[in-house]
Parts: sequence; C-alpha cells; structure tokens
Amino acid sequence: MSYRIMDLELSRPFAGFALASHETGYALVVRWEGRIIGFLMKEAPEGLRMDEEVLREIVERDFALRILTVKLEASLMERWPATTLIESPSLTIAICTKDRSARLARLLDALEAIRGASEFRALEVLVVDNASVDSGTREVVESRADVRYRFEPKTGLDFARNAALETATGDLIAYLDDDVVVDRGWLAGLYRVWADCPDAGGYSGLVLPYRLETPAQIRFEREGGFGRGFERIHHRGALLGNPLHPVGAGVVGAGANMCFRRDLLLKLGGFDEALDTGAPLPGGGDLDIFYRVLRSGHAIVYEPRYAVFHEHRETMAQLRRQYWSWGLGFMAFLEKARRTDPGMRLRQDAMVRWWFRDKLISFAGALSALDLRRAGDLAAELRGAIQGLLGEYDRSLARSRRIREQVV
Amino acid sequence: MSWDIVHLDLKQAPAVLDAGDSPVYVVYWWGDLPLGACAYAPEELPLRRDRLLARAARFLAEQVAARDPGFGGPPLARYDGKALLQPPLAAVRDVGVTSAVLSQLERPVYPDADALSVIVCTRDRPEQLRICLNALSVLKAPPGEVLVVDNSSERTAASVCLDFPRVRYVREPRPGLSRARNCGVAASTRPLVAFTDDDVEVHARWSGEIVRAFEESDVESVTGLVIPATLDSEAQRVFQMDMGGFGASCLPTRFGQVFFEETRHRGTQVWHIGAGANMAFRRALFERIGGFDERLGAGAAGCSEDSEIWYRILATGGGCLYEPRAVVFHHHREDWSGLKRQMRAYMRGHVAALVAQHDRYRHGGNRHRILVQLPRYFMRAGLDVVRNGKPYRGRVLAEEIRGWLGGVLFLLNPRWRSRRAVPTIAPPAEQGS
Repeated sequence: MSYRIMDLELSRPFAGFALASHETGYALVVRWEGRIIGFLMKEAPEGLRMDEEVLREIVERDFALRILTVKLEASLMERWPATTLIESPSLTIAICTKDRSARLARLLDALEAIRGASEFRALEVLVVDNASVDSGTREVVESRADVRYRFEPKTGLDFARNAALETATGDLIAYLDDDVVVDRGWLAGLYRVWADCPDAGGYSGLVLPYRLETPAQIRFEREGGFGRGFERIHHRGALLGNPLHPVGAGVVGAGANMCFRRDLLLKLGGFDEALDTGAPLPGGGDLDIFYRVLRSGHAIVYEPRYAVFHEHRETMAQLRRQYWSWGLGFMAFLEKARRTDPGMRLRQDAMVRWWFRDKLISFAGALSALDLRRAGDLAAELRGAIQGLLGEYDRSLARSRRIREQVV
Repeated sequence: MSWDIVHLDLKQAPAVLDAGDSPVYVVYWWGDLPLGACAYAPEELPLRRDRLLARAARFLAEQVAARDPGFGGPPLARYDGKALLQPPLAAVRDVGVTSAVLSQLERPVYPDADALSVIVCTRDRPEQLRICLNALSVLKAPPGEVLVVDNSSERTAASVCLDFPRVRYVREPRPGLSRARNCGVAASTRPLVAFTDDDVEVHARWSGEIVRAFEESDVESVTGLVIPATLDSEAQRVFQMDMGGFGASCLPTRFGQVFFEETRHRGTQVWHIGAGANMAFRRALFERIGGFDERLGAGAAGCSEDSEIWYRILATGGGCLYEPRAVVFHHHREDWSGLKRQMRAYMRGHVAALVAQHDRYRHGGNRHRILVQLPRYFMRAGLDVVRNGKPYRGRVLAEEIRGWLGGVLFLLNPRWRSRRAVPTIAPPAEQGS
C-alpha cells in the first residue's frame, strides 16, 4: 500500500499521470503560482491512468473558487495598500533533534535552498542536539556553514526547546521538528503572516505528509492528519459558539511547525519541561504553549503558506502509540492548566467531559461498524487519557526534576 | 447580554473594527450588495486590514462566480438549497480580476416599481406595523400600491394606516395568515405581488430589486435575504445562529426543474427557497394555480403556506429565483416562550404542508420526509445535544418533536386532508387605483 504524492501547479497547463503497479493511490499538493491552495488524496486502482480531462474535473470542483479568491485577494491588496511600515524582524529557526542525523541533514538542505531569499532582517539556524547518543548530529551541523549548534544534555523535547529559546538571538523563534521538510514557500509564508499581523504572539503553519508509503501513514492522513485547512485563521482567547475554546488548544496547530515572539515566550517562562519529555509522556508541550500564549491575550495566526511536510509514523504500532500519547498528553496538559489557570476551571472541566463523551461515542460507532482498528486507536487514546488524568502530570514533574538533577 | 449588529461596507477602505463589551454580528456589504455575516466574541476582535481583506476576497470570489456573466449566471440550487458554485477552471485561470469585474457587482438603483403590489398582513401589532410602513414609504422605487391586510378582530391596524395616505387598508376578519394573504392577492391590481411581514423593515432598494429580478428572468417567484434587525435576546440569537434563522446565503440561486426532479423522491426541500417575510410572485401565477392553502400558515397548521406555493410552482413546471439583493430586516421574537411556540408551530406546519403536497401530487417523497427523514433529524439533533451539551437546543428540539406529532395527526385525519382550501383568484377587477 503506497500513495504517490505529487505537486500540481494549476496556473500552468498540466498533464495527466499514470500510477506505477505498486501504487494504490495518489495525493496532490495543489498550488496556484507556487502557493499551496489545497491537498487531495484518493485511493485508486493499481496502475491507474489519470488523463488530463478527468484530473481537471477533479480539481475544478475543489479549487476553482479558491483560485478566484486568491486572485481577488491580490486585487484587493492593491486597492487597500498597507499603510504602516515596521522594521523587519530577525528570525531564529530552531530545530530540536535527537539521534536522527539523516533526517536533520534533509531538513537543513531544504532550509539552505530557501534561506537566501529571506525578507527577514537576519536569519540564524540553530540546531539543539537533545542528548544524542551518537555524534552524527554534531557532524551534520559542523559540515555546514552558518548553522549554530547547541548540546542539551537533559533529555526531553521541552528541555531542548527552552535551550533554543535561551540561545536564540532572533526577534522571532520558529520551531521545527527534525522529522519535517520545509516547503519552498515556508519562509516567505512566515514573513507574509508576520507582516500582516505583526502584533500576534505566535504563528502556526500547515503540516502535510512527506510520504504516504505505509498503511499507517495513509491511515493517519486519512483520519485528518495534522490538517488545519488552507485558509488563514486567527486564534484568540475566545471563540463565539465554542464554549470550550481555548482549552482545546490543538486546533491552533502542531508543535512540529510553530513560531513565537521570543520576548513573549521568555516573559511566559518558556516551555513546560514536565511536558513533552519523550517516553513516558511524549506530548502536550505544544498544547500548553499555545494555550498560555492565547491566555496571555495574544493571537496565534495559522498560515497555510507557512508549510512543512511531516514524516508520519511508519508502522501501525507506532501510530497506535501516537494515539495513546495524544490522550495522555492532552489530559496531562489539562491537569496542569487546571492548576495554573483556575479562572478557566469551568471550561477545563467541561472539556474533559466533552472529550470523553465524544471519544466514547466515536468508540461505540467504530465498534458497531466493526472497524476494529479504529476502535483500537480510540481505545489507546482513551487509555492514555485515563492515565493522564490519574496523576501523570505529577509523575512527569518528578521525572523532569530527576533528569535535571542527574545532569547537574 | 445583547449583541451589536454592525454593517460593514467592504467597498470603503477597511476601517478597523474594534472590540466592545459585547459580541458583534457583522453584516458585510459591497455597497448595496450583501456579502454575508459573521459573529465574533469581543476577544476575537479587532478586525484589521488583513482579516477584512481575506474575508472580502472569499465573499467576493463567490459573488463573482455566481454573478459574473462569464461564469454563466445565477447558479443552480443543490438539494439543500445551497448554490452550486462550480466555475470552470479555464475561465477562472483566464479571468483578470480588475476593478471592472468588481464594479459589475454593483447595480444602479432600479427606479421603477409601479408594476408591484406590496402586501403586508398584520394582526394586533400596530407599533411594529408603523415601523414597517415607515420603511415602505421611503423606498427608492415606490411600489404601485401598498396593501395592509388587517387580520385582527379589533381593526387594530386601521388607525396606523390613516397616517400613511398611500396605503390601502383591507380587512380579512377570518383568522389565518393564508386567508389574509389570499385576501391581499385578490385585492391587488398589479402584475407583481410582493409580501413582507409587519415585523420587518425593508431595505430602501427592496422593491426595485424585486422588479428587476422579474424583468431579468421568467421565474414565477422571487425571494430575498432576511437579515436580523436586532439580536438582543438569547431567543433571537438561538433562532438566528442555531436554528438557521431564515437562511442567510448571499448568493443568487435558481430553483427549477433540475432541483425538483433531483430531489422529488426524497421530498424536495422547498423551504430553502426563501421566507414569507420576503417573497414575491407574478399575480398571474395565483390566477393559474390558486391562492395560499388556507389549512396552512400561522393561525392554522402553523406555517409553510409559503413553501407549499413554491412546491406547486415547481410541480407545475415553473421556477423560482432567490435574489439576496432584495433585502429585508426582520425582528425575531424576543422571548423564549415565543420562540418555543414558534418552533413547534413551524414543525407542525411543515408536516402539514408535506401532507398537503403529498395529497395534491401523490409524490411519495413528502411522506418519506415525515416518517423517515424527520425522525432521523430528531435523533441526530438529540445526539448533538447529548454530545455537545446544548441544553437550550434540547428544549427547542422537544418543541419540534411535539410539533411533528401534531403534524402527524393531520396525516391521520382524512377530513382535514380532503378539505378544499385553495381559493381561486380572479384577475384584477380594474387597473390602477
């Protein structure tokens, strides 16, 4: 089972394609003048021949209106020229990585290809080596010009993110996971969203699949993946019609691709090192920081042009573990939020109730549809959530304290 | 807490919309063309240039796709009444979005509405009627005549009408909105007949846009957009935001034989065509198919006397056009008990209309809707109440189910079903007045 991922540029004439015999589907990254305007994946018979006519019909249905919108946006931009000019900020791109030197090298290559055309006042790339066992990470960084290196001996993603925050010099700090590759529009997209909303506290971006070559990767993407859509969204501390917002901070984006104003993060005290510690609590850190930024009264703006491609989990076992860790991380985050932000207590409790009700109903639905795999994923997520509610945050606090002591 | 309603003209350079203390319901316009509406919590504001720009681009793209002659005129309706927007890729690729394209969206004021009779049916709401008539007297294209049909027993509208010398007062003592509407049609003298309600204020261009829509197409009925005039009480907001209000699409939509034939077997959803507060017909239509069904409507089964006429139009080969350029502002009910009563009456009237449609044309889709789709809708709404914890929605749902049960009684009542209730309408007695 494998899908081919292809770019489809609609502003130029395009041709059809044929799938190879081992390919069971296709995915299209749809662009207009280079800008990503949509993503589409479909199962297809092996060896499918897609001719231009059929392809045009498919994209016409989904994207013609979107192209018209993009064109109108450009025309309105001329009609309403921007008035204020602020000095362009400097940017630190921070990559936290552990023992994945090949993927790191791939990401650095992709960054190298786009950093030349940056509109930012200054740009630095910072690699935080999170207690890698081998020396590969250091070697990859040293083989390149203009990439800073910092070693963080305390294992845990949020230790690394805080080390980056401490070392960075940029006005903005953009975090990337080591299992992503940036799109060619990534840097320009980030600049664009900053220029449009310079007073936001943070920005989040689109995360698309890098590869759809295993059943687990296809399944994850089909269940929604990290998709947050192809239009810009302003997230703030409240949302009319959603009484649980911003407690469900996951809607804002994903930790694999997020950016913040550095001074704001410092003021908020950085990331919570008890979250995202890797096993046994590999999650929740991004939710926590999104939540705290929104609660501090700042906006986080989601911008689809600020896009990365993410290497999804390859095996079903890894995927199931990911579901488990989401349940766990979300509840650990909620537990923490209940303690530190009692003003939102009603919403937080309502969120716990809503979450369990929602997952249980989905679980029952999956069972009655005999979709055992989906039911298993949901069960894993529920198991994680229960574990999260039963004191995981405290255990994790103690763990992170121990890690700190061991290193010092 | 009351919500503010803000009207924002995106044709003007974008002003910043700042946060106040209460949520705002923003209605976006392009000059006199309504584009759509969004509600925001105070924390979601301010709205600055980039957000307004993105909003405007999205709305205007839809308008261009639906209205630009290059894209083939008003789109057809999907089964659920939504406009089916599918501009061809080649046309989209080639279209240069210039200011000409945008200025084409605007139309000059249509000056002449002499061909139009406006009918306002009213019952014991003299204060609201006065506001309604005030708006009707400042229309940019004055209609040929304005008729007020007084459906009260005490002639409460009579004294109000004395203050409006151009208004004709007609009395229909037998209670029921359908009867009042039929009385108004019978008394009207112009080739086009528009209805609005006594709790409505029309936009200054309303009459002209209706006449223009009839000029430009051969449909039997034109309906328009209903915008809430106020959102002060929770009941009004639940009605607008959760119950769909009166449907607030801002795209012109054609309802014709394609729509009807595609959906007939599952019960054509004619109620998406428009609302009784803002609808117009060719008078000749009533002379051909008769007036409103007097078993339906407020004061009888509840409502749907309007959509049942649209059903008859489609079933006899005619077409309808939803043209949101024709705008009215409606004062929703303020109190909970009123809203609950209204939702119950809507559902009962809806089922009654389905029974009437079924009996008239033997289209089984109507029965399917009563016995299969509506129970399914109740279950889904009930699940939503449980899943998302919406107690107020649950209360409304309970009323809807009661209304449905009331409607099913009509289905079981052969005397009700065989009653002759559609009067014939004669051609106008004399021209002009």
